[in-house]
Amino acid sequence: MLIETAAYASRWREVAPSAKALFALAGVGAAWLAHSPAVLAALAAVLALAALFGARIALRSFLGLIAAPLGFLLLSCLAMLAGLDAHGNWGWHGAPLELVARTALRSLAVLAALLGLVLTTPLPDLIGLLRRLRTPELLLDLMVLCYRMLFVLRQAWDDGVSAQRARLGYGGWRHAWRSMGLLAGQLAVQVWQRSAALQMAADARGYAGTLRFLPAVFPQARRQNLRAALAGSLLLALGAGDRLW
Amino acid sequence: MTPLLSLDAVDHVFADGSFGLRGCSLGLERGLRHALLGANGAGKTTLLQHLNGLLRPSAGTLRRDGQPFDYSRAGMAELRRRVGLVFQNPDRQLFSAQVEEDVSFGPLNLGLDAATVRARVASALEAVGLQGQGGRAVHHLSFGQKKRVCIAGVLAMEPEVLLLDEPMAGLDAAMQVELEALLDRLAARGVTVLLSTHDVDFAYRWADRIHLMAAGSCIASGPAYQVARRQDALRAAGQRTPSALALHTLLAERGVLAGDHHPRSVEAVLDALRALPTIHSGAPST
Repeated sequence: MLIETAAYASRWREVAPSAKALFALAGVGAAWLAHSPAVLAALAAVLALAALFGARIALRSFLGLIAAPLGFLLLSCLAMLAGLDAHGNWGWHGAPLELVARTALRSLAVLAALLGLVLTTPLPDLIGLLRRLRTPELLLDLMVLCYRMLFVLRQAWDDGVSAQRARLGYGGWRHAWRSMGLLAGQLAVQVWQRSAALQMAADARGYAGTLRFLPAVFPQARRQNLRAALAGSLLLALGAGDRLW
Repeated sequence: MTPLLSLDAVDHVFADGSFGLRGCSLGLERGLRHALLGANGAGKTTLLQHLNGLLRPSAGTLRRDGQPFDYSRAGMAELRRRVGLVFQNPDRQLFSAQVEEDVSFGPLNLGLDAATVRARVASALEAVGLQGQGGRAVHHLSFGQKKRVCIAGVLAMEPEVLLLDEPMAGLDAAMQVELEALLDRLAARGVTVLLSTHDVDFAYRWADRIHLMAAGSCIASGPAYQVARRQDALRAAGQRTPSALALHTLLAERGVLAGDHHPRSVEAVLDALRALPTIHSGAPST
């Protein structure tokens, strides 16, 4: 939900998804090419600052989303530095600090690039982009339905919890577990009924096997793609320069 | 005149053996406003789904322009192009995350080109008062707005007949007024509208024809004024006499209002009363 809210509120909401994807892809490419920790740190900083100041993503949202992957990254770095050896003894692995820093910073830069994309592009736009890139229809149909159903089910779940809470369904652990179990069972039936209802609604509007939607129009896409390509080239040049020299 | 859509002794038996429709016969005349009144479980939704070809009758025949429904794939595509159905619960109809995307679903299924679809989507959103909201996420909309997106999704297919399953359910008073205005505009454009409702006062005020349903059968059909006077049929359909009719009948019996015209709403009865000359009682003479 945090990603969803941030994407709709972002200043780059109306920017063509292709431009944002191009920039993010260039960021990932540059992070892959770059070698020195300093350049990787600079790349991560540039990509994060672009999301925070360019797209005006709220710092709280950005930190809230980056916290979980950062935790994984930290654990991985610790595992590179220390852990069990072949004889089952604890100790330093002796991985060079520079290697650990490079891996961590490269992951961070890639993470910042991808977050910049998903925090500025609502999923329907991303699905539209994937459609243009000829992703299999079946996969996209599933994505469309899953995405919509997420919100419908969340609403149904919240309504159910409120109704149960109003009748003291969550007064203590025992009650809470029982209520949650009942609700999950009831939602399973609802899912089945809703899928039948959706099929019927699609049939009523002439469904013929594929879900077809009108793609969103981004009138300035060409100009935005050009800008993204330029900015992306700079990032790639930075990464490639670091690798070569 | 041949009705645009008709049911002739239609039965519908559900998988559990219960009857959804039982010998239901009904005709919808072209270009009129039809209201379907009945208690819960009377078969209103089942009937609407039959008219859109979503259900097939267990017995009896449905006809469009006098011809039996063609249940082949091509026949159903043609039927659904001409007869649009708006479901009661918008969350069960909307499956795209964006307003414009969802509204474009039907017209794209008709095989129209992108430019035509875009024009139709814009015009349908304008008709329901959601112009400029095409890029919004469906889950960010209110219940009333979602309902309007559902209607736009069907309007974009430019149907001849619009079926609405309890369109007023869950809408606040202001939204109901807006929806009624929208239905008036559609009827003025020549769209035949059939809606199911529990609100007998609304049906009497708005509809040209009222159809009463009880236990899967259509028990009365005809001009709104005639059907609304049939108290036995209204009672069987779980309805009462419309307030405007009851009030006007009483006032006509007392000689206050003329009995030859039939105001369709309480407001119209009040207007008739206001139009009467004011009687000033003079001071008692001494």
